[in-house]
Amino acid sequence: MALHGLLALMTTMHLAGVLCNVESTFDEITPQIYEPSWMYKCVPDEGCQRSEHPRPTLSDNSTSAFFDSLDVCRIVCGRFGGIWPKPVTAALSSQTVKIHPNYLRYDLLNVPAETRELLVEMTQVISNNLLAECGGHVTEVVDTQVVVIIVVKTAITSLNWNTDEQYMLDVQTRGGEVSVHIEAETIYGARHGLETFSQLISSDKRDFSDVEHCGLVLVSGAKIRDRPIYKHRGLVLDTSRHFIPMVDIKRTIDGMATTKMNVFHWHATDSHSFPLEASRVPQFTRYGAYSGSEMYTTEEIRELIHYAKVRGIRVVIEIDAPAHSGNGWQWGREYGLGDLAVCVNAYPWRHLCIEPPCGQLNPANPNMYRVLRNLYQDVADLLNSPPLLHMGGDEVYFGCWNSSQEIISYMKDQGYDTTEEGFMKLWGEFHNKALQIWDEEISAKGLDPQPVMLWSSQLTQAQRISQHLDKERYIIEVWEPLNSPLLTQLLRLGYRTVSVPKDIWYLDHGFWGRTVYSNWRRMYAHTLPRDEGVLGGEVAMWTEYCDAQALDTRVWPRAAAVAERLWSDPTSTVYSAEPRLQRLRTRLIARGLRPDAMSPAWCSQHDSKCL
Amino acid sequence: MKMMSWGDALWLGLTARFARVGRLRRAVLMLAAAACTAAAVLYWKQQTDDSANRPLHSMYSGIEPQWSWLCQHDRCERYQASDTTTLQSLQTCNMLCASTQLWPQPTGPVSLASAAVPVRSDRFSLKVIASPSRDVTKHINEAFIVMQNHMRTLEHGVVGENRRSDIGPPRDVLVKVSVNGSGDPRMRLDTNESYKLALRPSGNSLVVDITAHSFCGARHGLETLLQVTWLDPYAGSLLILEAATVVDAPRFPYRGLLLDTARNFFPVSELLRTIDAMAANKLNTFHWHVSDSQSFPWKLDSAPQLAQHGAYGPGAVYTSDDVRTIVKYARIRGIRVLMEIDTPAHVGRAFGWGPEAGLGHLAHCIEAEPWSSYCGEPPCGQLNPRNPHIYDLLEHVYREIIQLTEVDDIFHLGGDEVSEQCWAKHFNDTDPMDLWMEFTRQAMHVLERANGGKAPELTLLWSSRLTRSPYLERLDPKRFGVQVWGASQWPESRAVLDAGFRSVISHVDAWYLDCGFGSWRDSSDGHCGPYRSWQQVYEHRPWATETPESAAWPVEGGAACQWTEQLGPGGLDARVWPRTAALAERLWADRAEGATADVYLRLDTQRARLVARGVRAAPLWPRWCSHNPHACL
Repeated sequence: MALHGLLALMTTMHLAGVLCNVESTFDEITPQIYEPSWMYKCVPDEGCQRSEHPRPTLSDNSTSAFFDSLDVCRIVCGRFGGIWPKPVTAALSSQTVKIHPNYLRYDLLNVPAETRELLVEMTQVISNNLLAECGGHVTEVVDTQVVVIIVVKTAITSLNWNTDEQYMLDVQTRGGEVSVHIEAETIYGARHGLETFSQLISSDKRDFSDVEHCGLVLVSGAKIRDRPIYKHRGLVLDTSRHFIPMVDIKRTIDGMATTKMNVFHWHATDSHSFPLEASRVPQFTRYGAYSGSEMYTTEEIRELIHYAKVRGIRVVIEIDAPAHSGNGWQWGREYGLGDLAVCVNAYPWRHLCIEPPCGQLNPANPNMYRVLRNLYQDVADLLNSPPLLHMGGDEVYFGCWNSSQEIISYMKDQGYDTTEEGFMKLWGEFHNKALQIWDEEISAKGLDPQPVMLWSSQLTQAQRISQHLDKERYIIEVWEPLNSPLLTQLLRLGYRTVSVPKDIWYLDHGFWGRTVYSNWRRMYAHTLPRDEGVLGGEVAMWTEYCDAQALDTRVWPRAAAVAERLWSDPTSTVYSAEPRLQRLRTRLIARGLRPDAMSPAWCSQHDSKCL
Repeated sequence: MKMMSWGDALWLGLTARFARVGRLRRAVLMLAAAACTAAAVLYWKQQTDDSANRPLHSMYSGIEPQWSWLCQHDRCERYQASDTTTLQSLQTCNMLCASTQLWPQPTGPVSLASAAVPVRSDRFSLKVIASPSRDVTKHINEAFIVMQNHMRTLEHGVVGENRRSDIGPPRDVLVKVSVNGSGDPRMRLDTNESYKLALRPSGNSLVVDITAHSFCGARHGLETLLQVTWLDPYAGSLLILEAATVVDAPRFPYRGLLLDTARNFFPVSELLRTIDAMAANKLNTFHWHVSDSQSFPWKLDSAPQLAQHGAYGPGAVYTSDDVRTIVKYARIRGIRVLMEIDTPAHVGRAFGWGPEAGLGHLAHCIEAEPWSSYCGEPPCGQLNPRNPHIYDLLEHVYREIIQLTEVDDIFHLGGDEVSEQCWAKHFNDTDPMDLWMEFTRQAMHVLERANGGKAPELTLLWSSRLTRSPYLERLDPKRFGVQVWGASQWPESRAVLDAGFRSVISHVDAWYLDCGFGSWRDSSDGHCGPYRSWQQVYEHRPWATETPESAAWPVEGGAACQWTEQLGPGGLDARVWPRTAALAERLWADRAEGATADVYLRLDTQRARLVARGVRAAPLWPRWCSHNPHACL
């Protein structure tokens, strides 16, 4: 064990100019052949600063520590080092100790037996992430023993809004041994503790290194107490406008786990395509997938849900309805079930839907509800308990329903006028019937009724929502822009909400129409009301103009900015977060993601110099 | 000697030749008004009794979701495969239906068969019929291998699927290339890039004639040949149009993409991939903004100090070998590498070693604070125009650029955003504008020396205060050209063009690809927005909307600019593509048409080609729209 930074410094040769004060021409100079090898020092209130000279000498006798590696500088510099999202409290040593994954042991003796298997998987993820810091191979072997003792107090393995995610993390280095204590109520809290532990570790590689040699260093002492502010910290991914391969979804989940997000809101279907295999209704993918290779099999979905669980993330499947349904529902007639959906792929589309292709479920057809029940059964089979379903419910176009004689006569039978309010009743009826089906299906599994999520819409407007949607049952995901009063109104009415202001937290904005791009600063600066009714927020990746090719750079590091807003809700400035976010970016790269650059690399080598 | 190609014969009116392939279905005449070129697109259909050509279609029998596309009313319509008697992939339908699917759209007459035959990459062979030099022959051979490798990459897409046996045996394809003209394979300002391509069946095989006046033209012909070849996923085989003729030449001689490797470093592999994507779009100038105040990644042999003091780290360095690799890779793809070492502003720490080496201050204001007083964005730095060593150093830099890139007819001096305050602080006896003018003259002087005593035909400067009146009048339009980046509505482009300076257009409000991502600093200024969509890039035609004062404007062409303050390696492709493809067609074909349905269709196909080449291009629209293109317009 050694003060890593200083050691490296001592081996640095003194160079300096040899030709001082002697006039010479450019040609006469024989250049010293060396590569730039910058060093970094941690300057209080400024952050990590690159050395003045590419081969710094010891003449700078300030007391600040020097580091070969910018990443190592970051994990000890500043009150919160390289931890993202920012923990509630942290006391970090400014010294580091070299470690190697081979000498890292997890002690799970104080963990309830029924959770141990899951926790073992969680520790494997962390160990792999440590290897990834060195590109999979830690060449520098040290035999410092690192023991991670994990204490979990409850045997709970379900994930929902009541899951206790807090944790305590202590790191102590004594006599050539490192002991790490993680204590949490649930394994999910313990996982967050492990994640934070991994963020106390960096490779000692130089910035833009060209050598294979790589060792790991750990902050030698730490005391961290942490818990999230908001319970619901989500990311929406749309896999209907473009199919996103499983490997890319998993990589996105990895990024979410790194930033302690806990809800993967899977906008699995839309009018464009239906890639989700439903074992009871194979027609959905047969008529709705882009191709045989652009669909998710039941097996893959199960695996993804488990993959997410091991990373502390709950998967919410959204079956958007009654609008945003089309391809995948167009086979009813052929099978003698009548029209399950209307205006599917209708053209011209402008009066029938928000964007092509159109399609809306047919609430007049009882067979539609039968098929929907089968679909809900499949979803309930897939999701972990307690299952959370997102029913969609946005952007219903009455023009579409109004174009169907079948629906108009059904409305007449029900005593609904073909006025706006009449269509509202039809719409509300759809959601309540759908909810009843969902309730029946999960009650068949022996579960109590669960709340469902629903997008805000005309139906959820303040003067109307209470007539149609029970506030005990529906959680409203509000996507209205910032200047809309809807969120406050719904909170006043007692609804629980999840906030996704589209003009701030939509990741697709800025690439089409008049939408404006929000960079991470803008996303970070937005705060949510602190209200019991605000469960949290989400950041949304709609994929009309994005597919797997562009996914990572559209999502990261911006989603991380939202993750910290939701976990820590910090009062500190955007600017003070930047060095930690730079560290998070290099960590995401090590874990195989392709986050966008936030600034010229010069700025990340000179914290606070690019204000 | 000039061989009469099949295409020539066609245009001499020998339509009887159609009879052998099929009957004439229809002819569409399209007029590109501004370019005053007419492109006629002719289609003909295969003989219906020619069963050898039919088995692209087969019965649908699977239970997997599968779609079939049929060309109806000049558009590909999607059907559930079980509802049709034929199974045809989207790719094949697109290639055989109404649109040419070529990108950029050729400017001369085009006629394409509406039938395809199976081929295999290893069944293509090359015969160089005429070549003005061994060098050109060698380049043709290499370019052919590049094309074949791209076909092979496509074939790798069929892994796991067996090639269907009922589509018939793959045909042999003999590619005959004739170059009559320049023996210099380099992309030069005077290179004639036109080419003719004629593809026709000959017995059981296919013969392709490519004729051109330069290697670059012949290479463009091979690129077009690659575009009439595609992978049919249902057949599990490459297909090629059975017959085609294309007569083609670019509207503008300079068609570029600028990449800034100083704000963020990009590994060589990223540069090579970008250059390959440029070649796919027949762009011809890779404008490499290699250094800036943030970093200097290029390790020169004659002045390694610059990278030693200026690179972000030991792994963020381009060696001379790297540059040679890039130049060679680009050369085979018909692309010149234009390296720009921006001076006198936009320099930094790389020039900070002067005093230590006994050369005095090579630059001033290096990383000066507050930066907003001395430069446009942090960190600051500006060369010291009064230090004679700086001109020595620049001569070395320029000499090495010319030696490595072998581009000696065109050069870029940089020259933008000089801070008058920085120089005023150090030289209070002289007007900074005079210093700047003097610096530019001296830089030009050492450039001449570095170039064997001869000024390059076109030496570019960025537009700046120096290229505005009253300073513009002091520059010689015979020596200098201007890369105009101010907004298209600003009068500066007009003034420069009216004064007769050869210009490269890079208007910030149309062709700056970095715009629209907000500010990367706490202070909110210094960024442009909004995002320039591919449609905006495509529809920008300043030369068509404004009228020159006197004679025609000397517009050499244009370049899209990818500055990288907020872009790293992982995001490069999706930021640059397909928008730069839109620019490529604007500069190659300059059709009067905006982003119409046909442009969407062809660009969507081109985007798929880029993805197949390993380029992470962003999509144009939802995938459903690719499946049902006409329903989304």
